[in-house]
Amino acid sequence: MNNPGDEGARHDGPPLVSCENLTFSYPGSEGTALAGVSFELGTGEYVGVVGPNGGGKSTLLRLLNGLIRADSGGVRVGGLDPATEPYQVRKRVGMLFQNPDNGLVAPFVEDDVAFGLENSGVSREEMRERVGTAIRAVGLEGFERREPHTLSGGEKQRVALAGLLALDPEVLLLDEPTSMLDAAGRAEVLSKLGELRGARTVLHVTHHLDELLGANRALVLNAGRLVADVPPERLVSDAELLRENRLALPATLRLAAGLGLGAAKPRTPEELAAAVLRRVKLGVEAR
Amino acid sequence: MRIELEDVRHIYAPGTPFEVEALRGVSLAVEPDEALGIVGGTGSGKSTLAQHLNLLLAPTSGRVLVDGADARTLKGVELRRRVGLVFQFPEAALFAPTVEEDVAFAPRRLGLDEEETRERVSETLELLGASHLVGRAPHALSGGEKRRVAIAGVLAMAPEVLVLDEPTAGLDPATREDLLGVVRALRDGGTSVVMVSHDLDEVAEVVDRVCVLEKGELLAVGAPETVFYAHLVTAPSTVRTASILRGPYPEVGRPVRFKDTLAALKGLLEGRG
Repeated sequence: MNNPGDEGARHDGPPLVSCENLTFSYPGSEGTALAGVSFELGTGEYVGVVGPNGGGKSTLLRLLNGLIRADSGGVRVGGLDPATEPYQVRKRVGMLFQNPDNGLVAPFVEDDVAFGLENSGVSREEMRERVGTAIRAVGLEGFERREPHTLSGGEKQRVALAGLLALDPEVLLLDEPTSMLDAAGRAEVLSKLGELRGARTVLHVTHHLDELLGANRALVLNAGRLVADVPPERLVSDAELLRENRLALPATLRLAAGLGLGAAKPRTPEELAAAVLRRVKLGVEAR
Repeated sequence: MRIELEDVRHIYAPGTPFEVEALRGVSLAVEPDEALGIVGGTGSGKSTLAQHLNLLLAPTSGRVLVDGADARTLKGVELRRRVGLVFQFPEAALFAPTVEEDVAFAPRRLGLDEEETRERVSETLELLGASHLVGRAPHALSGGEKRRVAIAGVLAMAPEVLVLDEPTAGLDPATREDLLGVVRALRDGGTSVVMVSHDLDEVAEVVDRVCVLEKGELLAVGAPETVFYAHLVTAPSTVRTASILRGPYPEVGRPVRFKDTLAALKGLLEGRG
C-alpha cells in the first residue's frame, strides 16, 4: 500500500471518522465486500474514494452511517459506533445515495428538501430559509412545487443534494453525486461541494477522477481492499496504479497524454487547445 | 424496424397546476440498424422521448409509427418485446432469487419452452460478459454486475430496437467500455440501439447519428461531426478541443472519436510543430 501523501492535510486532535480493520461480506455472496480496511478522516478533510465496481465503495459508506454492520473491525464517527447508535450518528452524518430515486420521499420538491429538517428541532422560519437557500444552491429555483417523480434523473439528483445541504451535517457521504448530471450541472454541483471544503468533512465516491483533483486525499478500493491512500495528483500521474484499478483519465487528460502534453494537466478542452497552440508556435519558432 | 415520431408532444399532469410540457412537437426517426444517440441538458426531455419509442408513455398529441403503421394498432406486449427499454438504474427492478431466473422471466412470459429459455439466458449473459453470475443472488452483486444482469433481462426478449436510458451512469470506466462494446456488437448484429446519455464523450464513440434536445424541442439531428461542431455546448471534449484548433489550422478537420481526434492533433503537431 502507498503511504498517505505528505502534502495531504494534517489535523490535530482525534480523527472525526475512523475505520479499523473493517471486514464485511454480503449474505449469499462468495467474496468479501470489504477486507481489513483501515483509515482515518480528520475534521474538514475532503477525501475521494475511487475504484472498480464491486470494489467496496458503496459498502464503505453504508458502514459509516450504520445501514449495515461490520462482520469484524470497528467504525467510529465522532466517537460513536454507527452500528449500535445509528440515530446519533445520522444526526452528524448525511448520505447521498447513488440512485437519486432511493432518497426521495415527499410529494413536492420543497417538502423533500425539508424532510431531513422536520425532525431536527429547527424552527419553522429557519427551516424555510435553509430550504430556500439549499434549493437555490443547486440551481432548482422554480422547481419548489414540482413533484419529484416528474423530474429528470439529473434534477432528482440535485433535489437529493439540496436535502443534504439544508441539513448541513458535519460529515457528508456522497455516492457518485454527479452520475446523472450533464457537464454544466456537474460543474455547478462540484463548485457547491468545493465551498464545503475545509468547513465540512466529505467522503466523495466517484468514477470521474477530475472531480477529485482538489481533494486532500484519494482512497483506492479494489476487491474490498484499500490499495492506495494518496494525493489525487499522484494518482492521476501513476499509470500503473490507474491500470491496476480499472481507473481511466478523462478524455482531455488522455488526449494530452497521447500528445506528450501530459505535464500541462489540462482540465478543460480550452486548456488543452491552448497547450497544443503553444507547442505549435514553439515548433514554428524553432525552424 | 423503423420507428418514427411524428410531431410528438408530451405534457405531464395535464390540466393541473403541476402541468409540465416535456416534449414540444418532436419529429424524429430511428432507422433500422443504426445507433442513435440522444443528448441534451438535464430535463431536456431525453427520457420522456425514450419512453415514447415503445409507447410506455403515450403522446399527448402526435403519433408514433412502427414501419409506417400507427404503433397504437400494435399489441402493447408485442411492441414492448420488439422495442426493449432499459430504464435509468434498471438494477432497481431486479427481483428474482437468482440471476438466471431474473433473466429468464421475460422469455418465459413470452411462451418460450424451457430449453429455448435456457438458451436465451445463457446467450444474453454471455454477450454481456456475465455468464459467471448465473447462479448468484442479484442483491449480492456489485453495481456494475447488477446493471449487466438488468440489461440482459431486456435483451433476452431479443428486441429489434434496444433503448438504453443512461446505461453507463455509475459504472467504472472499464465496465463502461465493456458495455459500449456490447452496444457496438448489437448494432453490428442488426439490432438498432438508441442511447440516451449525458456523457457526450461516450456517445461520440458509438453512435452513427446524434440528436440534441433542448427544453423539449429537437435542436438538431444528423451525423455526429455535423451536429457536434454546430452545437458545441453539447459536444464531447474531443470536438470542443478540435473546434478551437481548426480555426487557425483548418487541417485539423472535424474529428469526433477519440482515436481520430488524437490522430488529427498529432498530425498538427508533426506538420507544424
